[in-house]
Amino acid sequence: MRNWIERSSVLLAALMALPALADTPAQILDNLTREARSQQASFSPSAGRGEQFYQAKQTGGGEAESCAACHTRDAKAAGQHVRTHKNIEPLAPVANRERFSDPAKVEKWFRRNCKEVLGRTCTPQEKADFAAYVISIR
Amino acid sequence: MGVTWKNSGILILGLILAIFWIAAGQADDIGSLPMPRDKLYVEECGACHTAYAPGFLPARSWVRMMGELERHFGEDASLDEPQSLAIQRYLTDLAADSQNGTPFMRRLAASVPARAAPQRITETWFFAYMHDEVPASFWTRKKIGTKANCIACHPRANAGSYAEREVSIPPP
Ligand code: HEC
Ligand code: HEC
Ligand code: HEC
Repeated sequence: MRNWIERSSVLLAALMALPALADTPAQILDNLTREARSQQASFSPSAGRGEQFYQAKQTGGGEAESCAACHTRDAKAAGQHVRTHKNIEPLAPVANRERFSDPAKVEKWFRRNCKEVLGRTCTPQEKADFAAYVISIR
Repeated sequence: MGVTWKNSGILILGLILAIFWIAAGQADDIGSLPMPRDKLYVEECGACHTAYAPGFLPARSWVRMMGELERHFGEDASLDEPQSLAIQRYLTDLAADSQNGTPFMRRLAASVPARAAPQRITETWFFAYMHDEVPASFWTRKKIGTKANCIACHPRANAGSYAEREVSIPPP
């Protein structure tokens, strides 16, 4: 009997931990903000700055001159990869619930796409602003 | 003629042979290539373009590509080491010259010069051969854009399926 209770409570605990594996966009934004504050204590993320960054033409040397080039000017809409022409699902979590739910995935694509567009990595401040903008879209 | 053990036996034997024949035909089907079962492959190698079936290139092509992922056709496609090792294994296990090859994959492998490790499927012999009837103007349509955008015309490409009857070419 005891064994049975123990086992089912372990199972229950495991089930309760499951949703915790996927982060929410707000948690991911919190972490990005914390990272930015560790460099600049007064920082607070701005969706307005994020929007400018999202749309701005850059001169990083890559074929894509802005984030919007692949993700389209409207982050709620599906985009298209400028080189491969593959369809890209919308970036805004309001239109695509899988977005900003996996910190490792978010990090990986910031690394790749910032290099592609800016020719360098994005600063923690740019990342937090960008996330604040995309997450704020309704 | 009544139903006897003998003629129903013949019928069953016939059915079994027919099933084998269909199964063998499918293994031979040019339009169907094996894909890795782990969804990691489509997630990672299908993020920027079609998740190409490993059977379109020989193993040596994939090994070279996996060693240069930071400079992948001008893009950074690099992965964590465990992921890149796993993907390299899936690619070589199902490569054109692997033991899991269909007759079509073996023909494809045989057409690649022994010392070459081509990086583009779209530059292999088979690709030109299969698509010689596709008008050049199709490749530049907005929804297609490049020959390497297989999934634009082969909707089930990420499942390894390129069958002619499934082809659906987006309008201009
Ligand atoms: C060359 C095309 C391209 C450009 C330009 C581009 N992206 Fe992306 N981005 C992608 C692709 C492809 C994916 C991943 C595919 C998918 O998940 O649908 C992606 C995914 C992302 C993600 C992951 C979100 C998630 O949780 O799934 C983030 C964050 C992101 N991009 C940020 C940016 C930023 C910031 C810029 C501008 C500096 C940018 N992207 C420019 C192609 C691009
Ligand atoms: C960050 C985006 C990105 C990722 C991730 C990526 N690729 Fe690519 N890949 C490209 C681009 C861009 C091209 C060139 C497309 C062109 O020129 O038409 C390309 C081309 C290719 C080609 C040649 C296509 C042809 O012309 O026949 C192959 C094969 C290929 N990639 C395999 C892979 C494999 C395997 C992976 C996973 C390990 C992968 N790619 C991941 C961006 C990416
Ligand atoms: C413009 C649309 C288009 C694109 C893009 C395209 N194909 Fe095709 N493909 C076709 C058509 C049309 C056929 C049928 C040709 C015929 O039989 O006359 C075909 C046939 C094939 C076949 C033979 C299928 C069979 O059952 O005989 C294979 C294999 C194939 N394509 C692979 C690819 C691969 C791999 C890519 C990407 C690297 C690709 N295709 C990109 C249009 C396309």
